[in-house]
Amino acid sequence: MTTTLTESRARKAIRPSGAPKGRRPKKLGRYLAMSPGLLFLAAISIYPTLYSLVVSFMRWNLSSGEAARFVGLDNFVGLLTDGLFWNSVRVTLVFVFFSVLIELVLTFGLALLFFRGFPGDKLLRALIMMPMLCAPVVVGLLARFSLEPTYGIVNQLMRSIGLPTTEFLGNVDLALPTLIAIDVWQWSPFLFLILLAAMQGIPEEVIEASKIDGASWPRIIWHQFLPLLRYPILVGVLLRLIDSFRVYDIVYMTTRGGPVDATSTMSWQIYNVGFRAFNISYAAAFSWLLLLLVLLAVNSLIRRMVARS
Amino acid sequence: MKDSQKRTAKLRIGALGVITAAAVALSGCAAGAPQADSGQKTLNAIFLPADWGKVVQEKLAPEYEKETGVKVNVELVGRDAIHEKMATLFAGQDSSYDIFNVDYNWIPEFGKGGHLVPLDNALPDKEDFLPLSLKVATWDNKLLGIPQTVHPATLWYNGALYNDQTMKDQYQAATGTALTVPKTMDEWLTQVKFFNGKTFKGQKLSGWAAQAAKGFGNVHTWLSFAYSYGCKPFNDDFTKSTLTTSECIGATERWSEMMKYMPAGANDFTYDSVTTAAQQGSIATAIQWSWGQFATDNPSASKTVGDWQMTTIPAGPTGLSSAHLAEWVISVSKYSKNTEEATKFAVWLESKKNDVLQAANGGGDPVRASSYSAPTLTEQKLEGNGAARFRRLPVTLEAMKTAQPRPFFPGEETWETTLSTELSAISLGQRGVQEGLSRADEAVDKNLSQ
Repeated sequence: MTTTLTESRARKAIRPSGAPKGRRPKKLGRYLAMSPGLLFLAAISIYPTLYSLVVSFMRWNLSSGEAARFVGLDNFVGLLTDGLFWNSVRVTLVFVFFSVLIELVLTFGLALLFFRGFPGDKLLRALIMMPMLCAPVVVGLLARFSLEPTYGIVNQLMRSIGLPTTEFLGNVDLALPTLIAIDVWQWSPFLFLILLAAMQGIPEEVIEASKIDGASWPRIIWHQFLPLLRYPILVGVLLRLIDSFRVYDIVYMTTRGGPVDATSTMSWQIYNVGFRAFNISYAAAFSWLLLLLVLLAVNSLIRRMVARS
Repeated sequence: MKDSQKRTAKLRIGALGVITAAAVALSGCAAGAPQADSGQKTLNAIFLPADWGKVVQEKLAPEYEKETGVKVNVELVGRDAIHEKMATLFAGQDSSYDIFNVDYNWIPEFGKGGHLVPLDNALPDKEDFLPLSLKVATWDNKLLGIPQTVHPATLWYNGALYNDQTMKDQYQAATGTALTVPKTMDEWLTQVKFFNGKTFKGQKLSGWAAQAAKGFGNVHTWLSFAYSYGCKPFNDDFTKSTLTTSECIGATERWSEMMKYMPAGANDFTYDSVTTAAQQGSIATAIQWSWGQFATDNPSASKTVGDWQMTTIPAGPTGLSSAHLAEWVISVSKYSKNTEEATKFAVWLESKKNDVLQAANGGGDPVRASSYSAPTLTEQKLEGNGAARFRRLPVTLEAMKTAQPRPFFPGEETWETTLSTELSAISLGQRGVQEGLSRADEAVDKNLSQ
């Protein structure tokens, strides 16, 4: 004990003055400065997330007046044997895959068109951005009115050029593609913004050098742009992917999961279970499976992109 | 102090400022909950943003404050949001709101949970209320809500169309019978088929329209068919779904057949879509809530002012005509800190005078039998038209005699969601009637077992 204390004092003595003394208070100061934010995060995010995990192992209906009780994996087993759950997984995956894919292809093309600049490009760019500025609920409402078969502007335009009246939201085969189209309309500007900014950051020398080497534009895009844009694309796609998985607003405003269950996404089902039936525990389990699915999708995408690079 | 240390100190002060500002802002967020004015008794109420909620917010609550000095803050919130708020606030035994506008099918759900104040002793003249309106506000022999407005489904028909001589002649020639207001489902189907595709006043007609969207709309329309065919969706104690009885199958087959004569996009039709179609005069008949007639009599929005008439739902094969009932009640939260004052306000809202006043201001159909003969309502005429503004009231009163509520048990909302999906599949031809109803039976029984 005596030896240890002496050694410690000796170590302190040979340290340059100032450096060791200040470290602890500085660290403490940092933690103190961060603590309100961390506490806030813990209160509004970490605690509810963990609590929802606890709830997912219980049976708890908010309106029943009965106390919650532990039921182990019952909710998860119930979900995995529930046809509605698997339907919602299928609908969500189709929605996510096609909406993100179409947005990516479309906005890559648009960004290529805009990155060189042309007369009026700023005005057009601003117009392209506009859907993104609308609240999803407003977009859903607009879509509902615009696509209404009798009085909606889309059908009126279609009829005026001799096309038949189409039930975009009421047809089992068309409802999901229509929702994908609405999502593409609203959120393409987001990816466009990311891709355009990234493209404009590509050094001009790279393009010029490729041209001097005789590379055609398609080759420049394939061999220069795509590798250089890999990470901006990854970030944009990841953000859109996560956002698409939790699509709810436009479903609520347009189809409410119908017709039949053609647009019943996981988020919609969670709402139905949690806020119509108030089966909070089942909804919590549902949410955790959704989270798992999102994590799996995001993780596999990151792995693939990183492995390729 | 070195420059870097000064900078660090400044940064820390800045950070502290940001944190303080955030804390102030967050405390401001907490002000989103209703606040009581100091010294004055205040009640907080949530009503539906329908006309009966607006009347309470704009006219009756301020009048109550003048009369009693009690301030009533009325928030108008959509149906789904009311349901969500009630469940979450009740689960937390939260006293933020004293009064809720309640769709009667939530009474069993919140009644079973013991979240609502029994109002039996507070209502002095129950005998004046329409019996059915009180019945659906009662759970476990306790009156848990004071009826505010009733809307039985009724059959709407375009009176101008039914009185048009050319149409009458054409109908006679086509069917061999006179065109009269349909009394039975078969007569109605014949007329719907006849009118569908005809042109009247420049509008191409569809035979009929009704709510058909997935969610609850298609269930609500289907219920009027089901009840008129004698279909009972459950056994007596709500332990078994009985949707595959011959009555239910017959009702569903007829409903499904009639869906062919609705306008394009009908599978997505909501209450508003039906109203718009009626206002445009593009449908011959409709199943719609009685109260909705005021919208078609609004000259700024309707081309059919004074044209729409009503009758009771056509009778099914056994001669039974039974409408699906819609009704909203006023309930008091058990967790309110002012239950006595809140109860007084709820009772006051449905006094004889106020029941009439609400109806006169477009706030839905009255809940008191005496209001149906109130001159304030019966003598009102539409401006420049001469038609009685409340011509629907005798039909509403008649419909209330045989109307039936939605299945009155705590899981009704879930039941609607489940059945709605299958009805949607049936109406879109994705499943046959028998198959769809069997699947619904299976899904409902699974829910009941949980």
